[in-house]
Amino acid sequence: MMWLSQGFIFRRGTSVYHRIDPRVKLLISVLLFVTVLLVRSLYELTGILVFMVTIAAVATVLRRVARTMAFTALFSAFIFVLNFVFTRNAETSLLYAARFIAIVVSTSLFFITTSPDELEQVMKTFRLPRDVIFAFVTAVRFIPVMFLDTIQIMDAQKSRGLELEKGNVIRRVRNMIPVLIPLVVNSVVRSGELAEAMESRAYGAVARPTSLVEYKSSLSDRAVAIAAVVMFALTAYSFYYILPSAVL
Amino acid sequence: MIELQDVTFVHQNGVRALDGVSLKIDSGETVGIVGENGAGKTTLVKHVTGLLKPTSGKVLVDGKSTGETSTAQLSRKVGVAFQNPDHQLFSESVEEEMAFALRNFGFPAELVEQRVTWGLGLFGLEEYRKSSPLVLSGGEKKRLTLACILAWDPEVVILDEPTVGQDSIQKEKLAGTIRMLASSGKTVVVVSHDIEFLWPVQPRVVVMKAGRIVGDGPASRIMQDRDILDSARVAQPQLVEFYQSLRARPGKPFVDPLDARRWLEGGGGK
Repeated sequence: MMWLSQGFIFRRGTSVYHRIDPRVKLLISVLLFVTVLLVRSLYELTGILVFMVTIAAVATVLRRVARTMAFTALFSAFIFVLNFVFTRNAETSLLYAARFIAIVVSTSLFFITTSPDELEQVMKTFRLPRDVIFAFVTAVRFIPVMFLDTIQIMDAQKSRGLELEKGNVIRRVRNMIPVLIPLVVNSVVRSGELAEAMESRAYGAVARPTSLVEYKSSLSDRAVAIAAVVMFALTAYSFYYILPSAVL
Repeated sequence: MIELQDVTFVHQNGVRALDGVSLKIDSGETVGIVGENGAGKTTLVKHVTGLLKPTSGKVLVDGKSTGETSTAQLSRKVGVAFQNPDHQLFSESVEEEMAFALRNFGFPAELVEQRVTWGLGLFGLEEYRKSSPLVLSGGEKKRLTLACILAWDPEVVILDEPTVGQDSIQKEKLAGTIRMLASSGKTVVVVSHDIEFLWPVQPRVVVMKAGRIVGDGPASRIMQDRDILDSARVAQPQLVEFYQSLRARPGKPFVDPLDARRWLEGGGGK
């Protein structure tokens, strides 16, 4: 479980991709996401996936992206089966299943290379309410903590004779109750404590607080953003006017 | 009873939490494991319960490798009270919480009732029997987790930082419980930063540093060995430090306690 979770959690890196302005990284991920939705054949999707894997390699997060793929493979298989049952078309079903993996990879590329602080700055540029930004960024920040909590709770309950891996599906779901209750209670307690700690440190005292870091796009960031938009436009154009191999 | 044979454990991020640890704990022994944060104490304990499997080496409990047994099965023999009680409390009432493990192990209803009553009495929690465990104070929660473990009478009792959040009276009671367990033949392993708590218990002390065992022996010897304790960044018990300082002091005994205090504050004996 921890192994899989690593595919979604940010870890500091020094690659070129990590150093790109987070707003540009968001733009790249959004464009990849839209491109995946525009894809009409497995060949096109394979091309996009190869491109995303290349970005992951440049960002030195290839192994973690592979974990993301492994995590989504189960859902992807479910999508394939469901589509195949209703459409009886293996190629279309495979396209939908692979598209799901590509969508997850496109978003995880952003999240695993962008720190919560950078995420906060990105959200600020969209002029979202401060409370919304804070709530979202805090939730992201606490994902690894909750994973760690889950593992420790599972350890504690297994040490009291709880067999999490035994029995049928219903039994296994029921066995998760001793894990879920402490997890939820801890999270509620932690959020209450966090709220008190924030208020005691003057959260909300002024309407427009200052920021420690102000992001400014460099020339290279702008060049990457323009290149991403141009590549997207060319790819979208080629999908509809050059490549004929559509299955949809 | 418990044997670690050249155990090494490397985390996924490459951190070597245990590095060639060999340790044998006989049945009925009381062992204190000490060391600074990140020394590998809890990782070692998790190997004994089978929650972690060694990267290399072998962990044997009662002659059986932990790799061949599930944690749930192992826990019948090895009871662990983890550091944070909030990681295990979930039931509607304190008695339900205590009965959870007993039911998992298939104890008959009568025995469950009997063991729950015994455990609540031992840790002074009878008045909370019908209360939710979530509303107890930090110290009470900690005591409840200990009661939960002792309720099924495991052969080995492992206490991970048992004194956190306990006042001095509860600490004394806890030390008494450990002595009682030891005298009844249980193997007791206490992982603790609290040297002052361990000293009166006089266990065999295992000192850990950076995933290795750097000292192992009776408390009376290890606690006096400043080289070992300093290298593992473990403080000496005040009483031992005081005794050593007094022993090193030349001249006459002190006239009053303030004299002794002034002498110690002036770096006496060091």
